[in-house]
Order: sequence, then structure tokens, then C-alpha cells
Amino acid sequence: MLRAAIATSPDGADDERSLIALAAIGDRAASRALYDKHAARVHRLAYRVCGDPDLAEDLTQEVFVKVFRSLGQFRGESAFSTWVHRIAVTVSLNAMRKVKRLREREADLDEAHQHEFEPDAIDPDLRARLAAAIEALPDSVRIALVMHAIEGYTHAEIGQALGIAEGTSKAKVFDARARLRKALGDFQEEQ
Amino acid sequence: MDDKRLDEILSDAVRTYRSPPDAPLDAIWSRVEAEAFEVQPAKRAPGWRVFAGAIAATLLFGVLIGRATAGHDVASPLAATVSRTPARLASNSTGDAYQQQTQEFLGRTAVLLAALPSNGRPGTNDEKLTQQARQLLGTTRLLLDSPVGHEQRMRDLLEDLELVLAQVARLQPQRPGEALTLINEALEERDVVPRIRSAVADLSIGDH
Repeated sequence: MLRAAIATSPDGADDERSLIALAAIGDRAASRALYDKHAARVHRLAYRVCGDPDLAEDLTQEVFVKVFRSLGQFRGESAFSTWVHRIAVTVSLNAMRKVKRLREREADLDEAHQHEFEPDAIDPDLRARLAAAIEALPDSVRIALVMHAIEGYTHAEIGQALGIAEGTSKAKVFDARARLRKALGDFQEEQ
Repeated sequence: MDDKRLDEILSDAVRTYRSPPDAPLDAIWSRVEAEAFEVQPAKRAPGWRVFAGAIAATLLFGVLIGRATAGHDVASPLAATVSRTPARLASNSTGDAYQQQTQEFLGRTAVLLAALPSNGRPGTNDEKLTQQARQLLGTTRLLLDSPVGHEQRMRDLLEDLELVLAQVARLQPQRPGEALTLINEALEERDVVPRIRSAVADLSIGDH
């Protein structure tokens, strides 16, 4: 009955609320529908944060295991996507701490060189410098920058995901940009 | 480098910085399904809590002894101490005052973390906890901007505490469940409590 209502509801938000209600009582199809809707974006964010395809898959898995295990506690006070991304950020940051403790990661400079040279494109060396500079940012600053400048999250979304005020998110991105300008300031570009 | 050029580079980074590969979403789903929908055994209370309690008690004892032997300046808040004791700072180093305040801050934070409810149910002191977390969050940010925050290991710890305290400060007293689970996991996974202990030990060595 509920599933039929979901299928015919014209309102997307209502659809999602119904899916959440079904998933909370263990309905696999509803859970899969929620997963299909949000997994790609969670995976993108996880990959941007960790830069490792296997780890990004593991993180995406961990995020959704947590989501479905704690779905009964989701009260709908924030958007479901916000709640999912809050978990994604926490899981990703925690994982990166572990990874950093296990091995001193090399900045993934090679990746910046994988993109073929295109006329009028950014100098590959500058891309490499940018990647290294982003990597060197403190975690909370880096994730705010990646979410805002690269993944296009709003400051309100970042604030909710990181548990900070919207203004603090803006300040962190401002701080990140200042550090990047400083780190890239001496780069001599070919004219 | 100006803002306009940085914007151009960041626009390029949308496409080139760790450009995500296609995710094998079906395969990931199979693993999620296998793990998320299996029957969960009853979870034990996290072991760090007992540990945190012991540390909190030790730190409190230390702080009380310190107060008894060092006079009133020790108990004053960070800003007040820095502004009210110029003579002392001149004769000692500025770093000593910050270190003392950092030690006290870490003690208070350990006490707060030990007091967090472990079962996800509302506790009687939850509102007080969120209020204390807000105060400690302010101190964390002051310390991050102080000379204490220049030392990388301490900065990492303070940034972790900033995130955890922000989460505690946003706890809804009537419904702390999911948020508390995340906080407890973050504390465990980031080894926050052992790192507090180690930082306090380092600061104590610096005192002598």
C-alpha cells in the first residue's frame, strides 16, 4: 500500500519521506532507492577527500551501513541528504586520520599530470602545485574548500555537515583560499 | 596571485583535482546490504569511557592541587590570565601561561567527554553539557589562534576537539541518539582521549 503511494506521489520530497519510513523498517527496495539517489554524490565526496578509489568505495560502503543502521534515529529535522553528508564527512575525516597514522601519504602529484595538455588550459605543474597545496591544508579547512569550491556545496550545507555555523564555513574557505594564494604565489606561469 | 586567477585554477580543479572515477555502485550496494541488514549483536559501552573517566579524575586532582599551590591566577580564563598577569608573563615566558591554560582546558574537556551519555538516551545533565561544550569550543578557537596552536601535534588535537565539541554543542537534549553515536565513534576512531593524555603529559614535562 505504502509502496503504491510512493510510486504515484507527484511530490519528490514526499517520495523520499516515504522511502525513509520504509527503509527504517528494513525494506530493502526502499533502502536501495535511497542509496541510488545519494550514493554517487557520497562517493564523489569520499574520493575527493581521500584520493584513493578503493578507500572511496570502502568509505561509501561504511557511510551507507551507518545510514541504514541508524535510520530509525533520523527525525527529519534536516534534509535527508544533509544528514547523509554529515555522516559522510565524519566517516571520511575519521578514515583519513587513520590513513595518515598508518602511512605518511605522498601528495598525489602524478594525478595532476594524468590530464593531457590542452591549449589555454592550466599548466600541469600548477595543477600539481595546487593538489599539493590542498593536501597540505588542515583537515577541517581542506574539507570545507573541497566541498565548496570543487563539489559545489553551499556554506549552509557545509555548516550542517561539519557541525559549524555557516559563517565559520565561509571563514574556513576564506582561510583556505588565502593559504592557496600564498602557496601558489611564487609560481611563474608561462605567458 | 590574485583572486581571479585562483578562481580560474579552482574551476579547472573541479575537473582535474582527484576527478572521481565511475563508482561500482552495484557492487558497493551488495556489500552495504550484507553488512547493514545483518542482525546486530548488543553493543558494549565503549572502553574509552572508563579510560576517560580515570584521566578526568587524575586531571581534576592535578588542577585542584595546582590551584591550591599556585594562587588564583591559574583558575582564571585564558583571556583574563593573559591580560591580567603582564608582570608574570614578562618574567616567565608567554608560553607558560598558554601551556597552563591548555592543560586546564584539556582537563575540563576530558571531564566533559567522560560525562557524555553512552547509551544515546537523554541524560539529566545534557543541557549543561552542551553549554559547557560551547564554552570549551570558544576556548579551543582561542587556543588554535594562540602560540599553542602553532605546534602541529597540538593543533591536530585542537582541531579534532573543535569538531567533537561543535557536535556536542549541537546535541539536542531530547534526542541525542544518532549524534552521540557519531561523537563516540569519532572519539574512538581518532584516539582523542589517549591523545589528550599524551598532550597533558607533554605539557607537564614542559612545566619542569
